[in-house]
Amino acid sequence: MAVLLPTALLVLWEICSRFAVVPPRYFPPPTTVGWVLVDRVVAGDLGAQSLVTLARLGSAFAIAALPGVLLGLLMGVARPLRDAVEPYIAFIFPVPKITLLPFLLIILGVGEPAFVLTGATSAFFQIVISTLGGVQTMDPRLLEVGRNYGARGARLFWKIILPAALPSIFTGLRLGLGLALVALVAVEFIAAKSGLGHLVYRHWQMLSTPEMYAAFALVGALGLLLTRGLRALQARVLAWQEEVGSL
Amino acid sequence: MRALGRWLTEHWIAVGSPLLLLVAWEWASATGLLREAFFPRPSTIAAHLRQLAADGTLWGHTAMTLIRIGWAFALAAVLGVSVGLAMGLWRRLRDGLDPVFAVIYPIPSVLFLPFVSFLVPPGEIALVVTTAVTSFFLIAFTTTQGVRQIDRLVVEAAVHYGARGWRLFATVLIVVVAVEIVAASRGLGALLWLSWQILKIEDMYATFFVIAFLGALLSYGLAAFRARLLPWIQDVAEP
Repeated sequence: MAVLLPTALLVLWEICSRFAVVPPRYFPPPTTVGWVLVDRVVAGDLGAQSLVTLARLGSAFAIAALPGVLLGLLMGVARPLRDAVEPYIAFIFPVPKITLLPFLLIILGVGEPAFVLTGATSAFFQIVISTLGGVQTMDPRLLEVGRNYGARGARLFWKIILPAALPSIFTGLRLGLGLALVALVAVEFIAAKSGLGHLVYRHWQMLSTPEMYAAFALVGALGLLLTRGLRALQARVLAWQEEVGSL
Repeated sequence: MRALGRWLTEHWIAVGSPLLLLVAWEWASATGLLREAFFPRPSTIAAHLRQLAADGTLWGHTAMTLIRIGWAFALAAVLGVSVGLAMGLWRRLRDGLDPVFAVIYPIPSVLFLPFVSFLVPPGEIALVVTTAVTSFFLIAFTTTQGVRQIDRLVVEAAVHYGARGWRLFATVLIVVVAVEIVAASRGLGALLWLSWQILKIEDMYATFFVIAFLGALLSYGLAAFRARLLPWIQDVAEP
């Protein structure tokens, strides 16, 4: 069924488009899109633009990951810091990060730094919140046992707190990467002149729909690959963790 | 008064830290340490917010955004709950749609704008439908999980869905603003983008604060509502 229904939907689309039940100009047959996809990934802009998007994603994630985890951990162990920083996070986290783009464009000018930072902010807050949650929801008995055996300060942190928070940290990184991709593709669609998001926009404007759907499908495939791949990795690396979460 | 004092001794850092930041920002912009053209003073931003509120611009845009969120949420909820219930009840349908959902879900909803613009007339309807797309998948997914967890008791599934609704609502807000930036000429997101284009920086900051405030209000308000409605459900971690 997992193969049958998607295939049936695609075949239905193919037939409707071939016999012009739906306007083929707007809804080209999936086989046409498929050929364009293969053709352009191997020898065209689609492959190159995917690499642009992936490079941006890599930079954004690199910028967000370490500071996010550090801040989350510090907030978890130092109450005053948590009190001081939490208002900002509560204020900014629900805001669509794409609204930060205008600010960044003004401050940094139109260019890579502004695009990448928008993606990085999306990931950053998710990573901080998940990490902090991991420290806060750890079993207090673990702390007690550690203390009873004489673990204090740095030792308590490295041996007890960090391992206990590890699953949440990984979840935060995984969700953060997904959010960064979503933000980056949206930024590309709106403001950038390169990347997969921009390809969708450009081919929409030019009404070259097969190329548009091909780029669109590639975004979906990329997201799927990242989320599913990281979830599999998490299940393998953190085998003692029961529920990895389904989204 | 006593209670306020106790609350302050408990939370003085949480209150003090933003205040300190605002004062530092005011000072840095006033002395020219930060370029005032890019980082206008908080007092200037507040004045502009007051002005936007006074001449009615702000209310018009806020109302527009809220109406769009309302329509998009209603659309996504009706369709999402129906599909989610069906997927929860029929295993085959679930198996069949799971891969479709998995591919579509990670795509940012702004990208659906071209596709939607082919299907429905452009303008308000296209905007609302695009906004509803991602929320639809979230709601359908949560509903499916809900149905599976409680052993096909459909009535309870609806309650269960309600229990999680507040997170979905916050997502709708995220999406609606992103979509507006691209396509609309009214609405808060549009005001923000417009401000940027004509470099009215003070307006931009002011609008940003309103968006942030709306987001906080919606997510925390719904959390409180849920806690009152379903007190037996243990509080979940931050979203």
